[in-house]
Amino acid sequence: MDWDDEYDLQTVGGGTAGPSFMDRVRNAAPDEDEDEDIIPGVLPVINETPLEQLIRHWTNERHAPDLLAAQEDLLANLLDHLRRQSETVQLLRGDASTSEEEHIRIMLAQVEIERVKFIVRSYVRTRLFKIEKYARYITTNAEIQTRMTAAERAHASRQANMIDRHLYSSVLQSLPPTQGHLDDVDPLSTSEEPKNIMITEPDRTRPVFAHALQNCPPVHLPDGESLKMAKGHISLVPFYVVEHLVARGEAELV
Amino acid sequence: MSETRQYGELATQLVMESRRSTQTDTLLKYNDSIIRSIIREQRDLERATEQYMRITEPGNTPPPQLLILQTIINRNKRCLLAYHSHRTDRLRDLYWAVGGALPHILSNQEIRGKLSPHEVDFLRQYNTSVMEFRSDFSYELDIMASITHPPKDIHTLVRVVRDCGVIQTELGSIDFRKDQRFMVRRADIEHLIVQGYLEEV
Repeated sequence: MDWDDEYDLQTVGGGTAGPSFMDRVRNAAPDEDEDEDIIPGVLPVINETPLEQLIRHWTNERHAPDLLAAQEDLLANLLDHLRRQSETVQLLRGDASTSEEEHIRIMLAQVEIERVKFIVRSYVRTRLFKIEKYARYITTNAEIQTRMTAAERAHASRQANMIDRHLYSSVLQSLPPTQGHLDDVDPLSTSEEPKNIMITEPDRTRPVFAHALQNCPPVHLPDGESLKMAKGHISLVPFYVVEHLVARGEAELV
Repeated sequence: MSETRQYGELATQLVMESRRSTQTDTLLKYNDSIIRSIIREQRDLERATEQYMRITEPGNTPPPQLLILQTIINRNKRCLLAYHSHRTDRLRDLYWAVGGALPHILSNQEIRGKLSPHEVDFLRQYNTSVMEFRSDFSYELDIMASITHPPKDIHTLVRVVRDCGVIQTELGSIDFRKDQRFMVRRADIEHLIVQGYLEEV
């Protein structure tokens, strides 16, 4: 079975006793679907397995104040892979000819499956948290919707409706009619398109730690200077400054 | 509105309550009376602005008082909305903390007493929405399971704290009775640990 081959690759790569989770992840056998994962316009980081990609997107998502692009294909491939692995495990467990040693390997594979599931779950929930927090903003912003899956968009619009209804029945319906909307703008603002002050938006100026995965093109800092991050460089910068580098996979948030 | 009170004082109290709730990590009782008072204040302010609007000639700059009133109206409203949003955030946290077991929250009289009727509705709708989202993943994994600690073992030894009836597990169905111990697959019973039926040993 190909599961066994993959497993052997993992142990060979894993090396001696007690390699860290990340080490094992780095040395994990490549998914057979890997070639299809390359998204056009995104520079693939060399030798990055799907799981490593997921871990990168997961840490990015957890550190970014704004919602990042959804990784639908990557996630779908990983979930398929998890399902196949689980099925193989079930099959081998039920097979009477499976030796004692193999049972231990099966157990290790099961633990690994649970760990990957944990990351997927945490990733999905991190996105869900942001979607719920900014639901009202998301429904009025077409750009951010392009970064979401269909299920996430549906959830966001359901959320926005619920929050609208809840705020309306708790507060807005009791206020005088002129105050009963959510479209207020700052009366002291002199800008032509004053910002709405009643709806929560992601704070894209929040500082983040960016780690350059390769030599990056210069970025513009808020004080007008430009910063050129060499590979391995770590900087504390406002999120919007490195947003595009993170999206292209040239930098990650740590 | 009492004569000695400044504009927006009540709203400040309301926001302070949200802050206290965050700092102590507790859900406080829904403060209906302050909210009603602020809404009354808003109506008074609205009447006051209407008066200024009437005396302002069209085309003239409105008097500065109007700007102050408008600012305070917006501020009060922001505080009201912030208070409610803060509470819905907390309710969502509460919901996830018990692994999405809505009856578990609503049957708890202590929590139930702190919610406004609209908030109970909100939780019900939220539950429906999350269930719909979850169904997209159900085959591969349960997104409701805990994300606080990464799994270290597939099996875990648990003690039954409260009877929870017959549960389907990898080893077949098990009837969990109080004070029994079982070695079970974590993924099968995780939700029971979260809801306090089982305890890890």
